[in-house]
Amino acid sequence: MNHNLALTDEALLTIEKPERYIGNEVNSVIKDKGQIDIRFAFCFPDVYEIGMSHLGIQILYGMFNSYSDVWCERVYSPWMDMDALMRDKNIPLFALESQDPVKDFDFLGFTIQYEMCYTNILQVLDLSGIPLKSDDRTWDDPIVIGGGPCTYNPEPIADFFDIFYIGEGETRYRELFDLYKDTKKKGISREDFLHEAAKIPGIYVPSFYEVRYKGDGTIDSMNPVFDDIPRTIKKEMCTDLSHEFYPTKPVVPYIKITQDRVVLEIMRGCIRGCRFCQAGQLYKPLREKDVEYLKKIAIEALENTGYEEISLSSLSSSDYSKLPELIDFLIKSCNEKKINISLPSLRIDAFSLDVMSKVQDVKKSSLTFAPEAGTQRMRDVINKGLTEEDILRGSHEAFLGGWNKVKLYFMLGLPTETDEDIYGIGDIANKVAVEYFETVPKEKRGGRTIDIVASTSFFVPKPFTPFQWAPMNTKEEFLDKANKTRKGIMSQLNQKHIKYNWHEADASMMEGIFARGDRKLCDVILKAYEKGCVFDAWSEYFNFEKWMDTFKECGVDPFFYTTRQRADDEIFPWDLIDCGVTKAFLLREWKNALAGKKSMNCRQGCLGCGAASYGVGVCTESKVNA
Amino acid sequence: MHKLRLKFSKNGPIKFIGHLDVMRYFQKAIRRAGVDIKYSEGFSPHQVLSFAQPLSVGATSDGEYLDMTVNSMNSIQEVMNSLNSVMNEGIKIVAIAELDEREEKAMTTSYAAKYHLKFRENSKPDFDWVSAMKSYLAKDNLPAIKKTKSGEKDIDMKPMILKYEFGEDCLDILLMMSSKVTLKPTLLFEYFFRSMGREFNTVWLDIHRVDIYRDFQDGEKTYIEPFIPGDTDERIYLND
Repeated sequence: MNHNLALTDEALLTIEKPERYIGNEVNSVIKDKGQIDIRFAFCFPDVYEIGMSHLGIQILYGMFNSYSDVWCERVYSPWMDMDALMRDKNIPLFALESQDPVKDFDFLGFTIQYEMCYTNILQVLDLSGIPLKSDDRTWDDPIVIGGGPCTYNPEPIADFFDIFYIGEGETRYRELFDLYKDTKKKGISREDFLHEAAKIPGIYVPSFYEVRYKGDGTIDSMNPVFDDIPRTIKKEMCTDLSHEFYPTKPVVPYIKITQDRVVLEIMRGCIRGCRFCQAGQLYKPLREKDVEYLKKIAIEALENTGYEEISLSSLSSSDYSKLPELIDFLIKSCNEKKINISLPSLRIDAFSLDVMSKVQDVKKSSLTFAPEAGTQRMRDVINKGLTEEDILRGSHEAFLGGWNKVKLYFMLGLPTETDEDIYGIGDIANKVAVEYFETVPKEKRGGRTIDIVASTSFFVPKPFTPFQWAPMNTKEEFLDKANKTRKGIMSQLNQKHIKYNWHEADASMMEGIFARGDRKLCDVILKAYEKGCVFDAWSEYFNFEKWMDTFKECGVDPFFYTTRQRADDEIFPWDLIDCGVTKAFLLREWKNALAGKKSMNCRQGCLGCGAASYGVGVCTESKVNA
Repeated sequence: MHKLRLKFSKNGPIKFIGHLDVMRYFQKAIRRAGVDIKYSEGFSPHQVLSFAQPLSVGATSDGEYLDMTVNSMNSIQEVMNSLNSVMNEGIKIVAIAELDEREEKAMTTSYAAKYHLKFRENSKPDFDWVSAMKSYLAKDNLPAIKKTKSGEKDIDMKPMILKYEFGEDCLDILLMMSSKVTLKPTLLFEYFFRSMGREFNTVWLDIHRVDIYRDFQDGEKTYIEPFIPGDTDERIYLND
């Protein structure tokens, strides 16, 4: 136990939730500073409860700490009350385990999971006393390294990072650490270290790449400044997940966090190829973990943490080939120990309904469908396999099983969307209600009735998807569409059984700007932070007007990144990164989308996306249509 | 089935863990230790844990109590060892007693708590608080307004103070803590400071709970002793 807290008792007692800052949780790792060579501060740039819920940090935290020469500690964004206190009292940001200042570490790593955390990265650097820009750092500062989904287009935050690690973290960190130790021994310059690091596969050093723009603001060329570093950086990927490190002793927080349970990752990747989905492309190909390995991991993690709940994690758990066997095993072993099983959104069918009725209270739980769009035409455009028939058949069976709550998820602003697609949302919701009344006769309802919640989010085109060329709607268009959706629902016969929720349009627009942004945004983000923008993912702190003012001041047009239709041959900022799927494949899929043509999933047949170059997972299975 | 009462200490940085989180901490620790605890009935069974009295955030303790029922065990010592083997350093089980089945919960039978009070290192008063407190406590009555859920209530703190003794720059004090009457050290200090025309901030006070007591009748006399008395604990007779 570390008794030397960075903050005084008085300070900790004046802020909200002091437990966020005291470390000492079960399974947190304390090492002897004198016995290690590399101190790594791993940051999730959001508040503790969010950051602690993230599986990726738990994986790398466990893996790094399994190295005898490395001590990895955790850092989260201080909440605004703590932020004020630290600035007021001049307390530098510290890591939770040792409570030592982050500035004294060798590495400061950020996992970057969503665009709206960019200003929080600057907050962490700032409170640590580390120069915000890579150019201004010296050997007195840690090497600042970023990873995670947003780093597949790291350009809007390129100035703030020394290194980006592209791909899955399990593969190259050991090499990077060894290089660092060697460098320190030889006493070479920071720049030379970065130069050597840039030669490691998956390592992108943004300052070594020069970007030239055309008159219209699009990119003319992107070139490395050295001949001996790659032109594009290829995603790193684990080839054998059943023999990789997996944390069976994750840190267990004292306070309730968002994901307060054992998380069992059953596979990576997805076969589905929904055209709006970035994760589906980034983590290709689908790689399942061995079911016996998963059983062992599940039991160990439950024993080591004492959690009362376990949850399966993947992009589409129904596609895991040994799912019935795994769930059977979990139900048997968890029932004895009174442990709950929380199932991710499974495809609703006889199997999943049977399983769900065993692990949850049917009367309280709800069914979830994500049709994503209101008409079959629109669903074909986005290549979402779910049909209206699937939804109604699944609902019918569920209503027979006693369910009466249904959640429906949709997106507004998809490419080629028409009013018919928008009004289709109300139609589907109504048909589900009708299905209930037809399936469950009045005398069997027991005073209950159907309860439908339809939610829409605004579509944000993302890099490395077929929709990376697509124009995004404006805020006004979004709100108009949400209004039409509401009217469409209100005009339905069963409208009083349907509740409608929609997301904020301002935040979606910001996300759209950052997602497909370029290096010109670095200045905007820096300036917005200096003007007080932080915690943009939190509606109580997000200040859209301040952001728009900053764009104006910096002379950057935000709509350049959102509403513009991109030419087929435009060079994108993220073309420096090779995520495994080719641009030619994505373009083919974009054309298929515009033509309303569906594509097969990876198990039906190979679309030649490029991920087969890794030679693993679903790419090596025999195909149904082969 | 065995009804058990656990006595535990809470020290170090763990003092910042709130009451509900301590409960969640124990639920996980009990599962890690593999203790065969009794679960509630119903669709989502949960462990039934009952704490004597919540300890405020920032306070340490050597005498907290927790009641639970186990379906089976080999010995009390084994339950204690297996729990301590999975505990964080800051929380330690110091004693376990097996209770009679009809025994009431600690929550409903607690009577008083003993505190060791001093000021935190950076918040020491700039006056001789020990002498001032001595004369304050010597008064016949100590009026205060206690804020409760239902509003404010005029109370006299004097009869709620059962016993006290000053040390060097510190105060050991026994205060009522039952389901009917409870006096918190912070309220006493707030009114003590007020009596001197000074402001008081609760974060200045370093509160250590030494133990929690229950009351017994011995003929005409009432005495109190800790829920699980140690070898050196003696009965404290009241109203003599």
